Amino acid sequence: MRLSNLRYLLKEGAKNIWTNRTMSIASIAVLVSCLLLTGAAILLSMNIDSAMASVEGSNSIKVYCEQGLPTLKSVQVGEEIMKLDNVKSCELVLKDEAVEEMMDSLGDNGTVLESLLGDENFLPDAYRISMEDLSKYDETAASILAIDGVDQIIDYKDVAEKLTDLDNMVSTAGMWIVLLLSLVSLFIISNTIRVAMFSRRLQISIMKSVGATNWFVRLPFVVEGVLIGLISGLLSSLLLNIVYQNALGALAGINIFDPVDIGPLQGSITLLFVLAGMIFGAVGGMISITRYLHKEGSSFSIF
Amino acid sequence: MITFKNVSKVYANGTHALTDINMQIEQGEFVFIVGSSGAGKSTFLKLLMCEEQPTEGEIVINDTVITDLPRRKIPFLRRTMGIVFQDFRLIDSMSVYDNVAFAMHVVGATPQEIRRRVPYMLSLVNLQEKAKCRPKELSGGEQQRVGLARALINNPKLIIADEPTGNVDPALSFEIVDLLSEINRRGTTILMVTHEHGLVKHFHRRIVEIQGGRIVADTGKVETSDEAE
Ligand SMILES: Nc1ncnc2c1ncn2[C@@H]1O[C@H](COP(=O)(O)OP(=O)(O)O)[C@@H](O)[C@H]1O
Ligand SMILES: [Mg+2]
Repeated sequence: MRLSNLRYLLKEGAKNIWTNRTMSIASIAVLVSCLLLTGAAILLSMNIDSAMASVEGSNSIKVYCEQGLPTLKSVQVGEEIMKLDNVKSCELVLKDEAVEEMMDSLGDNGTVLESLLGDENFLPDAYRISMEDLSKYDETAASILAIDGVDQIIDYKDVAEKLTDLDNMVSTAGMWIVLLLSLVSLFIISNTIRVAMFSRRLQISIMKSVGATNWFVRLPFVVEGVLIGLISGLLSSLLLNIVYQNALGALAGINIFDPVDIGPLQGSITLLFVLAGMIFGAVGGMISITRYLHKEGSSFSIF
Repeated sequence: MITFKNVSKVYANGTHALTDINMQIEQGEFVFIVGSSGAGKSTFLKLLMCEEQPTEGEIVINDTVITDLPRRKIPFLRRTMGIVFQDFRLIDSMSVYDNVAFAMHVVGATPQEIRRRVPYMLSLVNLQEKAKCRPKELSGGEQQRVGLARALINNPKLIIADEPTGNVDPALSFEIVDLLSEINRRGTTILMVTHEHGLVKHFHRRIVEIQGGRIVADTGKVETSDEAE
């Protein structure tokens, strides 16, 4: 393929888009929606993962020893806990520290608790632990409870379960929505290109009569699809960024977890969108041109 | 150059368009094909252009049996022929120049080749002054000359014209056939379907008459001398 031919093809493709503005805009809109939803699903899922990681990473599970257990015994409990496979870290919170924490949180009024320090302290010793893998929570919790001297576990199991459920739901729903929208996009793109082809059937018939190969006839329309995909890819990655930043801004006050930063991802998102868009466009173009060439386009004379 | 051997064409709907056609056309001939409407003249040309396949028989062009040519080779066969349409088939949104240049683009010519050859071709059909015009601004005769320039631009060995003067003022028809004669003098084979008896009588050329899908008359090769016109 010569450079001049490439230029010709690009020009023809761009001209097609412009001549059929309305259809082209419709195609772009549908493709952008599809890509945006895909992006939203991906980002949502990533944020859920990050929230899960922060739940998993924080020492959010507390294991309480039996009340009045001697400190030495409490330390032994800690050693037992550390021996378990799934336990990442295990930090002892002595009952006196617990009281001091409480006093801190009460500020000036905290002094009333002073009398609790020392022998009068009725709080049990406790461990803050974190697990490697929250999905193995149940087994690990059972093992901990089985340790002699452990009284109870206070945890965020529910939160972890809900996040896992949500993540699965987002992935499944996202997949179906994306699949459906992909089909719609393909349909719209191939129709757009069919309209372009129809409005150029005279040109196509002349091309064939002077000996254009089917590839040469096809390519401008494939180029048209690819250009539509390219525009949609760029547009949707830009929109996704804006929408996401706004969403983060709105959520800024609520500090439940660290949201995923889109900045470092922008490059790969753009690349992914542009590639996906271009592939869609090319496939859409191919579908319609092949159908056209097999039907109306196979003959060129209307003698 | 062209040989039809026992060629018959029956369309899918059962119409017998051509029956047992046998004929030979030599390189450099100028052939008028005449016959009433529905006689099968256009079908005859369509078989030559590989637009339709015969149901029986064989067509050979320059030692190539075109009747069993693979589909992907058809474009390259078409590049050896120039096709002129009755309705001109010019693209209204393009200038005269671009209409002709377009045909070179399609076969992958370089911009330099196009810049060199298109003006030459336009001057051959006497339209160099109209290069920038749109087809709609030209008379029927002029439009057909653009069509002729386009058909000739890729240097075909054969020109196939189906009633090229059908949409041209009778007075200007002669001009078109004059041009075709000129091209023929340079060695290009011409096949032209026409209804106009005046033309056929005026230019002493081989005449093949088709009626009811059969060749009913053929004057055979006519030796033409330039003085004959
Ligand atoms: N694509 C087609 N399908 C079916 N019948 C056709 C087709 N093209 C032409 N015919 C029929 O074949 C016969 C010859 O047509 P044609 O070659 O166009 O005649 P001419 O050009 O001499 O007027 C006519 O009866 C016409 O109706
Ligand atoms: Mg006809």
